[in-house]
Amino acid sequence: MNRRTFLKLAGLGSVSFAAGCSPESPKHLYSLVQAPENMVTGKATWYASTCRECPAGCGVIAKNREGRVVKLEGNPLHPLNRGKLCMRGQAALQAVYNPDRLQSPLLRETDGFTPIGFEQAGTILKKKTWEAARKGSNRVRLLTETVGESQMELFRTALRNWDSQDPVVFEPYAYEALKTANRDVFGVDGLVSYRMDQADVLLSFGAEFLETWLSPVEYAWKFKAMHATRGAEKGVFFLVSPLQTLTGANADHWLSCAPGSEAVVALGLVRQMLDIQRGRRLPPTLRQALLKATDFYSQETVLRLSGIPMEAYERLVVRLAEAKLPLVLGSGSGLSDENGLRTNLAANLLNLILDPNLKLIDAGHRHRVETAGRRAEVLDFFKALSAGGADLLILNNVNPAFSLPPESGVAAALKASGLFVVSFSNFLDETSRLSDLILPVKLPLETWDDYSGWSTVVSTLQPTMGALSGSPHLGDLFLEAGFESQPPAPNFKTYVARRLQTERRIANELEWLRALQQGGVFPAAGQAPAAMSMAVPEQLPAALADPYSPAPAAGLAFAAVPSLRLFDGRGANKPWLCEIPDAICRIAWQSPVRMHPDTARARGLKSADIVQIRSREGRIEAPVYVTETIHPSLLAMETGQGHSAYGRYAEKAGANPFALLPAATDPACGGASTYLAAVAMEATGRRIQLANTDGSRTQHGRAFILTATIDELLKGGRPARTGLTMDTFPLTLPLPEGYDPKRDFYPPHDHDHYRWAMVVDLDRCIGCGACAAACYAENNVGIVGESRIVQGREMAWLEIVRYHDERRMQRVMFMPMLCQHCDNAPCESVCPVYAPHHSAEGLNNQIYNRCIGTRFCSQNCPYKVRRFNWFDWEWPEPMNQQLNPDVTVRSKGVMEKCSFCVQRIKEARTRAKNENRPIREGEVTPACVQTCPTDALVFGNLMDKDSRVRRLCEDPRAYQAMGYLNTKPAVIYLKKVLHEV
Amino acid sequence: MSKGNHAALLITLGSVLFAAAFLYFFYAWPEKIGPEQPIPFSHNVHSGIKEIQCQYCHPYVAYSNFPGIPPVEKCLHCHNYIIANFPWIRKEHAYFNDNRPTPWIKVNVIAEHAFFNHQRHINSRVACEECHGEVKHLQRLPEKIWRMGQCLECHHKKKASVDCWLTCHN
Repeated sequence: MNRRTFLKLAGLGSVSFAAGCSPESPKHLYSLVQAPENMVTGKATWYASTCRECPAGCGVIAKNREGRVVKLEGNPLHPLNRGKLCMRGQAALQAVYNPDRLQSPLLRETDGFTPIGFEQAGTILKKKTWEAARKGSNRVRLLTETVGESQMELFRTALRNWDSQDPVVFEPYAYEALKTANRDVFGVDGLVSYRMDQADVLLSFGAEFLETWLSPVEYAWKFKAMHATRGAEKGVFFLVSPLQTLTGANADHWLSCAPGSEAVVALGLVRQMLDIQRGRRLPPTLRQALLKATDFYSQETVLRLSGIPMEAYERLVVRLAEAKLPLVLGSGSGLSDENGLRTNLAANLLNLILDPNLKLIDAGHRHRVETAGRRAEVLDFFKALSAGGADLLILNNVNPAFSLPPESGVAAALKASGLFVVSFSNFLDETSRLSDLILPVKLPLETWDDYSGWSTVVSTLQPTMGALSGSPHLGDLFLEAGFESQPPAPNFKTYVARRLQTERRIANELEWLRALQQGGVFPAAGQAPAAMSMAVPEQLPAALADPYSPAPAAGLAFAAVPSLRLFDGRGANKPWLCEIPDAICRIAWQSPVRMHPDTARARGLKSADIVQIRSREGRIEAPVYVTETIHPSLLAMETGQGHSAYGRYAEKAGANPFALLPAATDPACGGASTYLAAVAMEATGRRIQLANTDGSRTQHGRAFILTATIDELLKGGRPARTGLTMDTFPLTLPLPEGYDPKRDFYPPHDHDHYRWAMVVDLDRCIGCGACAAACYAENNVGIVGESRIVQGREMAWLEIVRYHDERRMQRVMFMPMLCQHCDNAPCESVCPVYAPHHSAEGLNNQIYNRCIGTRFCSQNCPYKVRRFNWFDWEWPEPMNQQLNPDVTVRSKGVMEKCSFCVQRIKEARTRAKNENRPIREGEVTPACVQTCPTDALVFGNLMDKDSRVRRLCEDPRAYQAMGYLNTKPAVIYLKKVLHEV
Repeated sequence: MSKGNHAALLITLGSVLFAAAFLYFFYAWPEKIGPEQPIPFSHNVHSGIKEIQCQYCHPYVAYSNFPGIPPVEKCLHCHNYIIANFPWIRKEHAYFNDNRPTPWIKVNVIAEHAFFNHQRHINSRVACEECHGEVKHLQRLPEKIWRMGQCLECHHKKKASVDCWLTCHN
């Protein structure tokens, strides 16, 4: 190339470069045709509804901007979740806007599915149901997820019109053992709730109440009410289980027992308590029978069978005996076998023995999931279908082809000749794929309904957004199809309102509107429901008659545990839930199998080695994750992944542990177990790269997570610190008074009236990751997928950091890590273009349009919270409609990070300025703070000496993560408080 | 100088002049005319001659970041009675009857990473004209691409906040 050509090309290049810099060409500005009343462009409208991501039924409020719901928050008026929401609740939006959501009904024809219109689908449903009904009795069958009472009543009425039996409610985790135990010990055939907040000692045999068990958000706040430090008071939580799930990781004492031996320990404890003359108020016949039945469980037997060290067991016995108001919870929700049933029976008996008044058992508030059918009933249902027992099967939002073991015969039943299967699923999942007609109905966020998580409250659902497709409401469909003559109501909304009036839950139209506005009808605070009487039986529960001992350990046992993120698999198509790593392993998108280091060593395995696990029923392959949080003779895997159909995010990710399980049910409680006493495991010789987001499992002696014991706290005061080392560096607030000319190179920052700061109480943090999900939703954080996470390119602005205690590796600690908004920010001083900028109110601003992508800031950030956009992340249609319109979507080549939700600060400031006043304490709540189920996060103004954050800085537990680097972080952590070991 | 050269010179001069005139009219003509709108709405008629307040059609300007543009029905509140049969008004009626939004062309363009807050400005007694000019004299609004310099100039002059995130970006 000669000089002339070079100059020409260079000139052309700069011209096109300059042309490329001008803003995009103007777009259209569409006006509405008719403006809804009270709608203001740019202002959110909030609608109260009820979360239906699991059977708990938390109240939500949905933020609607210009007709699209963009964020969910907990409903602060709802007594169940008190304004908080878990990760799965936050992600409910991603079902609504899922790119794989079916837009029209699909009808099976000889060569696959054909899209048809909604009206035609409705006609087919009506025609098929009445055709089947005319053939005889019980020819229409219905399998549904847990639904509210109105929907259930309509189902029953329609089925009766079709001369058929009531629907069967299917939940993969149906708590059969717990229900049976409640019936046999409390005389309550259902699922009671627990006043956990009032307990002083909590003992659990594996119930994962912070993740999926019954009502996780409710038990998260109740747990912290008993477990957070109040002066020198702090409840104690014992866990007896072969596995630490997230709940277990929050236990003060983990007694790792041999797999299958929970019942032995529980019954041993019953015996111990009887031996020390507790339970004298038990009916004498029961007491005698119990003494006889527990003869087998001497302390020696218990220790031998469970492998628990004597010292640990005795400490448990002593604490339990000394407790003023102990609460004992049974087994994990996956354990409804002979071990699980006995464990739950023993747990209930322990409650009865330790507190004859059963003050902590609340039979008035019953959990709705108690309506779920027992597994035996569900299997009978499918058996009858296979035998030609029906002509029409209706499936309402269930996926048994995925979540039931392969031997259950679901596929065969759905393919039974002469059976027409209608599925109301919005997704082409394993079950709907086998159906004849898939008729997508409106999702809970788009529909009218009521769903009462507690039997005592009314919790309503209403459409929170405009329609994305023409799909009908499920209730309307049944009103149309289920009645030959006049339906009982013109539409389902009216049906719900009328039922509530008939039941006297609401008095009139006005109260109905008020209920919709508030999200339901809730009893006033302090107004306790009428106590349900509990009848203590005189007889010994039948299941306890024979002594139980687990099968002798031969090789490895296996447990499939419900996942905090994906639950029973229904979360697997929501990219936020896949992208946020699991609590213990910190692995995203994959389904690792957890293994104890001793087991791994004995078999020559390392983390990331792929193993094959075989049972009589099936085989799966999964990568190993070596961790001390599991018993050496157990392997554990979370359920939810390994879908063969369920959309782009779920397919080909991980493996499905349900495939290993037998279909057999326990004869005593009719429940199934996700536990296997023996599996075979082999290395495949292959490895994968784990998509883990943790740099290290331990802190290497550095001061990220600090702990204190109660005794240390009682000694009082923070010792004056003046040094420069890790242990002697003082707490330096990011305020002008934190300036010390001897230490500081730069002058202090002047802040105008506000210095935003956050306090994170590590003693309250349970590591559930709800904050991270809320952050993804609020701040348009990109989803990068498995392969990019392997490259370390995840975008989470807020991450739960998990460290093992180096002194006791089985102890796991959590810490929310986000931008610390330092006053001496290392990122600010290295940027060549001043893209990180210190604001007048102390925020560390990242100016996206200034950033040129050197990544020096990320390199220099000791907290590693800055994220670089290696690509333009995609939000496939219509997922882009969820994006928060108040937050810029960042593009390729720029750095981003937590902004303390500056858009919320600005909103509060606008409000305050309009009212000519300063921003009030508590007026700004970032998304993470808002949703934290345990109130571990507090946000406020450090310049205000009376603000909560400022006062918490005086707490003797206050410290700054790696504060000795003199970064002066504005995120102040409070040390985690440990019970003496 | 031969005759042929004259012709060539004339053609060259002619094309140069033509090009210069073209460029001048295309790029440097002092008054820009705005893009053609689906309906030739005149701010001059509504705001100037009829003296309708800006807030009648842009009602949220004091309550929201966005001033709002009038829904189709709002135009017809008046135009059901005023020149209801004028062809362009009939087009607006057609939009209403077909339940279709009017596809106005956006003329005030601001980069996506900047958030302009109308209510803060209006409530701080910044008149509409200070930024939007005398629209009451204009028929078609010209396209205006807002640049950060324009914001900063005024913010500096009025000693308003120039904090990046707390003011404009987030």
